[in-house]
Amino acid sequence: MWEHLLASFRRIGVGVGCAIVLGPLVGFLMGRSRWVNSLTEPYLNFLRALPPLGYIGLLIVWFGIGDLSKYWLLFLAAFPPIAISTINGMRGIRADRIQAAESMGANSWQITTHVILPSTLPDILSGIRIATGFAWTTVVAAELNNGIPGIGGLAYVSGTQLQTALTIACIMVIGLCAVALDTALKYLAQLLVPWHGKAS
Amino acid sequence: MIEINQLTKTFTSQDGTPVHALGGVDLTVNDNEFLTLLGPSGCGKTTMLKMIAGLQGWDGGTITIDGKAVTGPGPDRSMVFQNFALLPWATVMDNVCFGLRLRGTERRAREERAQELIEMVGLSGFESKRPGELSGGMQQRVGIARALAVDPQILLMDEPFGAVDEQTRRLLQEELLSIWERNRLTVVFVTHSMEEAVLLGDRVVLMSARPGQISEIVEVPLARPRSSDVGGLERSREYTEITAHLWDQLRSMHSEHRAVEAVR
Ligand SMILES: Nc1ncnc2c1ncn2[C@@H]1O[C@H](COP(=O)(O)OP(=O)(O)OP(=O)(O)O)[C@@H](O)[C@H]1O
Ligand SMILES: [Mg+2]
Repeated sequence: MWEHLLASFRRIGVGVGCAIVLGPLVGFLMGRSRWVNSLTEPYLNFLRALPPLGYIGLLIVWFGIGDLSKYWLLFLAAFPPIAISTINGMRGIRADRIQAAESMGANSWQITTHVILPSTLPDILSGIRIATGFAWTTVVAAELNNGIPGIGGLAYVSGTQLQTALTIACIMVIGLCAVALDTALKYLAQLLVPWHGKAS
Repeated sequence: MIEINQLTKTFTSQDGTPVHALGGVDLTVNDNEFLTLLGPSGCGKTTMLKMIAGLQGWDGGTITIDGKAVTGPGPDRSMVFQNFALLPWATVMDNVCFGLRLRGTERRAREERAQELIEMVGLSGFESKRPGELSGGMQQRVGIARALAVDPQILLMDEPFGAVDEQTRRLLQEELLSIWERNRLTVVFVTHSMEEAVLLGDRVVLMSARPGQISEIVEVPLARPRSSDVGGLERSREYTEITAHLWDQLRSMHSEHRAVEAVR
């Protein structure tokens, strides 16, 4: 079980990790420029609406049956929520806050680093939380083919072999891991953005 | 000296109809003057203040400060916002330091200056608190200290006390008076309150409903310094007369406005 869990953790780590790097970046570009936004938003929404089970076959054709296709699947599941939260965060910044910085002589780089980024941080973090949860729900789909070792793969394979107890155990472990990780991320957010939810 | 000439601005609202915010404003603000700006809601007070701050463009007319045309924000001006517009993640100290930090002032120097201002606005002991831990009145004290930290010649204040309770507002008014009496900046102060306009201002500028224009400028003959005896001033005959006059003017503006709307 440990071996399987660890393998899944690694896959989720890589997939979500890439999404954590690219999601805010793309979200930021989309939030920054109306042009980039109208060009890419339909794709993002489309991607978000696709069921991972539907395109896993394609990914395997493109990236092979190994880990690469699994990374891609988890990344594609985790990316939209992070990018979309980032965009929403940027749209929610009050004009006053930016104007206050402008009136004190901030240039656009300073406004980005001193106002926009910290302002969107709470939204990026909540996007990461949603994305991580989502990645756990797709881990079974990701590990459907050639997913051993992997907790999702184990759940699926044991199911087909009618080892019901093992399947239930795997699902419980997945659920518990997701909840534990979510709680950890929640505390991390409180630590990183203690001002969030307070006035002003 | 701020000189505003034939300033016009038309916004396009979301449904595409034009909104004539400013319809040719002429106004001169003298050095070291405390000017208060009063007018019905939506007449373009905030818009005009942001234009002076260099945060908002206009369609026609000119704004010059000491003869130089305004083209953007500058170190000679800073602004205080109705909703404080502080950085919620930064401490009181860091918020007050913000402008100096943007300018690249060295840490020790900027914190020294900020400390003076924090003391001046009565927030000693709260340096490491964040805005979310402060009351509205305290947050606006931070807003004022932050605006003063960059040593502006012109302080632009947009209903700075509009979001605090009545008692705090009175305290802040007295404090602002005493700060201004000591520092003698040029202040342009937007307010909805006739009493506040008269209590603080050397002159009260009355703007008419949209499209905003200057409809009247009232000199306030109350003696200075005023911070020491606000209560006495408020009972004086001049004070009562001016506020009554301002209310007459505003009331007729409101009923005119209503008549115009009814015709439409
Ligand atoms: N960015 C904008 N886009 C469209 N219309 C705008 C914009 N900014 C201001 N307006 C309109 O211009 C008019 C003047 O606005 P402004 O905020 O300057 O009024 P104000 O006198 O400050 O009002 P209040 O006393 O309510 O604060 C209003 O009708 C407002 O709706
Ligand atoms: Mg306003």
